[in-house]
Amino acid sequence: MLHAIDLVKRYGPVLALDGFSLSVAAGEIVGLVGHNGAGKTTFVEIVSYLIRQDAGHVTIDGRPPSASRGRVGVAPQHIALYPSVTVREHLNLFGKLAGLRRAALDGAIEELTVALRLGSFIDRRTAGLSGGQQRRVQAATALIHRPGLLLLDEPTAGADLETREAMLDVVKQRAGDGAAIVYTTHYLPELVELQATIAVARSGKIIARGTYDELVDGLPGEVRLIHDNEEEVRVSTTQPAATLIDLLGRAERPISTIEVHNPSLDDLYRSLAVSDAP
Amino acid sequence: MLLDTGYRPGPTAALRESLYRIRALAGNNTLIRLRDPGQTISYVVMPMVLMLVLKPLYVRAVEGGTTKVVTGLLVMFSVFAISIAGNAILAERTWKTWDRLRVSRAPAAELLIGKTLPIYVVMIAQQSILLVYGCLVIGLPVPGNVPLVLGSILVWAFTLLAIGALLAAIVRSHGELSVIADVGALTLSSLGGALVPLSLMPEWAQVAAQLSPGYWALKMLQAAVVGDTAGTMLPAAILLGIALVCGVFAIRRLTRGWGRGGLL
Ligand SMILES: Nc1ncnc2c1ncn2[C@@H]1O[C@H](COP(=O)(O)OP(=O)(O)OP(=O)(O)O)[C@@H](O)[C@H]1O
Ligand SMILES: [Mg+2]
Repeated sequence: MLHAIDLVKRYGPVLALDGFSLSVAAGEIVGLVGHNGAGKTTFVEIVSYLIRQDAGHVTIDGRPPSASRGRVGVAPQHIALYPSVTVREHLNLFGKLAGLRRAALDGAIEELTVALRLGSFIDRRTAGLSGGQQRRVQAATALIHRPGLLLLDEPTAGADLETREAMLDVVKQRAGDGAAIVYTTHYLPELVELQATIAVARSGKIIARGTYDELVDGLPGEVRLIHDNEEEVRVSTTQPAATLIDLLGRAERPISTIEVHNPSLDDLYRSLAVSDAP
Repeated sequence: MLLDTGYRPGPTAALRESLYRIRALAGNNTLIRLRDPGQTISYVVMPMVLMLVLKPLYVRAVEGGTTKVVTGLLVMFSVFAISIAGNAILAERTWKTWDRLRVSRAPAAELLIGKTLPIYVVMIAQQSILLVYGCLVIGLPVPGNVPLVLGSILVWAFTLLAIGALLAAIVRSHGELSVIADVGALTLSSLGGALVPLSLMPEWAQVAAQLSPGYWALKMLQAAVVGDTAGTMLPAAILLGIALVCGVFAIRRLTRGWGRGGLL
């Protein structure tokens, strides 16, 4: 569905993208993570044809971004709504721009109102809404026409638990319907819940891509024991369970505390991304 | 449910869809205008007050003073209305909504038409209201050739719209826009003879006046209200030329967008 190959984007001395390649299949959710300034938003902007790359290729269903207008749903990282216009009027506008009419439009609005819990403020102007409410409205305007490619740039930034769950449910459902989805976030557990393919960006490149298990497998976890409330033993290991059993078998004094730390996405992220961040 | 895969409609269907999108855009922009009408109202009421106050002065100072006070202030405040157009377009940049529209199915031409159509209507309404007020209250002789007057208003409003769009495309903040629009408007329109009748101005100013769109607008409107069709045509052509140049540049700039840069 989406293929991006060797994208380069330069802003003066800053290389925002430096050989960035990423593909997303129909029905796939790619969780794009990476440090601040890694190039995630720049990638989204190129795919949505808001800016042009200096080098490299992008195709969406075989066509360049310039020929894909309106077939991509984009929820930008920063809130971009009309302050004096109500939520319902926003949905109407973006739905109509995508060609939805009467029943189809009403149906789409109704569906998103329920899915993203917009009901209690649907007739209020967006200027008066809370940050999380605006976030949901913004996502709704990107989702209204059921685009085949969704670019969601930090759709849960500043969202509370309920908002986050609603958002993840909708994203999963759209992927189930066959949409290709790029989902950027700094909250890694979301990607586990979405069962997303994880792509780690660093300094304008994708440096790792795979499922959660593939990426986390082989990373060291840690086992921590405290004997008699004083002597502490820490062992870094790729097999925490086996190591724990081994340590317990060899323990000569009573053990007061046991902690097993399985490798997590945070470890992966730290090992790959942040350690070398500029 | 099926996903949107972007089918290609035939020409008639494409036109219908295009009009549908333009209507949606224009509707949205009309809402925004209606919910923040202050600037528009003041550009209608201020010249009304000034016409009343300045009329005796004009009548005593120049021949045809009534016509000159009405057309002069009409031109001056219609030039101020450039900032309505400019602010409306610039706001889309500061709200970042312009980029949201740019990723929609509507091509840039539709975005601009949808954006400017309501403002065009506002400008035409402003000028028409001021002319009617001029006839009813100030004593401007009712024009014999109403279509000619209407045509002039359409041309002038179009020119103003294009200039406003151009300004909105090149400035970096609302502050810059008001400096250029207000100072520029005052200079251009008074230099064009909108505030002080040209015949009372120094000679250099009378020559420089011809550089100002306000000068041509005034010439056009003054010819139109007395029914002088031939005298209306040259200024109208010059104004349309200015509009075309500004408009084309604005469209090109707005189509390209700014990404994250471009604003203060
Ligand atoms: N318009 C621009 N002008 C100058 N530099 C830019 C511009 N847009 C992006 N950059 C730079 O490009 C780099 C990548 O930025 P980008 O916004 O893509 O990062 P990101 O991964 O989305 O970060 P974050 O997690 O903070 O959102 C940054 O160093 C940024 O400063
Ligand atoms: Mg970003």
